[in-house]
Amino acid sequence: MLEVHNLHKAFGDHLVLNGVSLDINPGEIQVLIGLNGCGKTTLQRVLTGILKPDQGSVHIDGQDVTPFPPEDRMIGYVPQNTGLFRHLTIKENILYPLRNGRGSEDKFREAVNLLSLEQYLDWKPDKLSGGYRARVALARALVSSPRVMLLDEPITEVDRAKKEYVLPLFRDVLLQLHIPVLYITHDPWEAGR
Amino acid sequence: MRKVSIWEVLFIPLFFFLIIFPILAILGNVTVEGMTLTFGDPVFWIAVRNTLITAFLAALLGVLLALGFGYFYIFHPGTVMYRIADFMNDLPIALPHTVAGLALLLAFGRNVMGFVGPTGLAFTLVAVILAMFFVSYPLAARTIASAAEEIDKELISVARKLGDSPPKAYRRGVIPLLDEAIFSAFVLGFSRSLSEFAAVIMFGGNVPGMTQVLASYVFTKVEEGEVSMAVTASAFCILLSLLLVLVLRMRGWSHARSAQSA
Repeated sequence: MLEVHNLHKAFGDHLVLNGVSLDINPGEIQVLIGLNGCGKTTLQRVLTGILKPDQGSVHIDGQDVTPFPPEDRMIGYVPQNTGLFRHLTIKENILYPLRNGRGSEDKFREAVNLLSLEQYLDWKPDKLSGGYRARVALARALVSSPRVMLLDEPITEVDRAKKEYVLPLFRDVLLQLHIPVLYITHDPWEAGR
Repeated sequence: MRKVSIWEVLFIPLFFFLIIFPILAILGNVTVEGMTLTFGDPVFWIAVRNTLITAFLAALLGVLLALGFGYFYIFHPGTVMYRIADFMNDLPIALPHTVAGLALLLAFGRNVMGFVGPTGLAFTLVAVILAMFFVSYPLAARTIASAAEEIDKELISVARKLGDSPPKAYRRGVIPLLDEAIFSAFVLGFSRSLSEFAAVIMFGGNVPGMTQVLASYVFTKVEEGEVSMAVTASAFCILLSLLLVLVLRMRGWSHARSAQSA
């Protein structure tokens, strides 16, 4: 379970997070929707440990992870621009967490099958379309054995027609995980699906 | 008819007169006698060997340290250490290189490093490497820092969330993306090291057959009145530098072509 209590974060005089609290149960997908610049990315960065909150706490499965660095939080993360390493193949990108002792070859095969990526494993990311890059980013997050999944506008690069296919696929895969999922978007249409 | 701007009128003759003409003056004064004497001089070839080895090692050390600076730039830009390193990066550029050489002599000469030998590190090939490194490192550091600035910070954040500690994220996620910058930093550092004279002669000395490099070989030959040999050695330096510039440009062209085809 993900529990966020009373998060505050300010940059100078500019208060960005003002008492944000939320609870997400395992198997539940919550969508956070807001306009650009409203603090969604700041919240994501505080949840994942890139930024320290000025006040408040983040608990995962009852454990207070607020003082933990990002690498110790076990949060699966799919960023807006997919964050794939262009010097690595698709397979190497998906297997990235294994070198940190996270995930397994079985999880890799499962994620590749679920997201139909078998034929692209030897490709470099820049050869793939936005939709497939998003799938690779999700596969990599799945392999990392996350306790919480966080998707920050993961299919912004994908056009509306392809989103019609990609969104249900993402939802089905995420629901199978039985972990808390926070999906961040600025698009009400995307949030509705 | 195309109208010629004032900048072209100023630039073209001045560029040719002040930059190209001196280079041609060297190349045009190379004589067969000078080539025979120089290329038959074993001390010249030792100076060439010394130059290439010391410049290579100085550039390598420069890239290594520049990558360390890049790490601070990405992960700890707010720290005092980073600010000091950033400020000091520009100092060797502004400093007269004789002063740099003297500073190295006082820091690593017999007073401080007397336990390694009668002159400390001074007047050895290690001193030559350190002198070349001292003046070429800022170029490498600036090159790496500029490239690091271009890297998408989200990638580093992704690497951390996938379990990488900052040093690991830097090694696995950042350094491979700096390949072009690392190459450029090395070639720039190597070129700068090749051309260094003042710091090298102050700290490394100018012992023929031992610590003499091409730049100091040219100086010695002028002093000895062997102008034809000095000219030949200088022409050799020019060709070496042109080769380096060509390597850098060819790498840039091939990179641009591969970026276009991607």
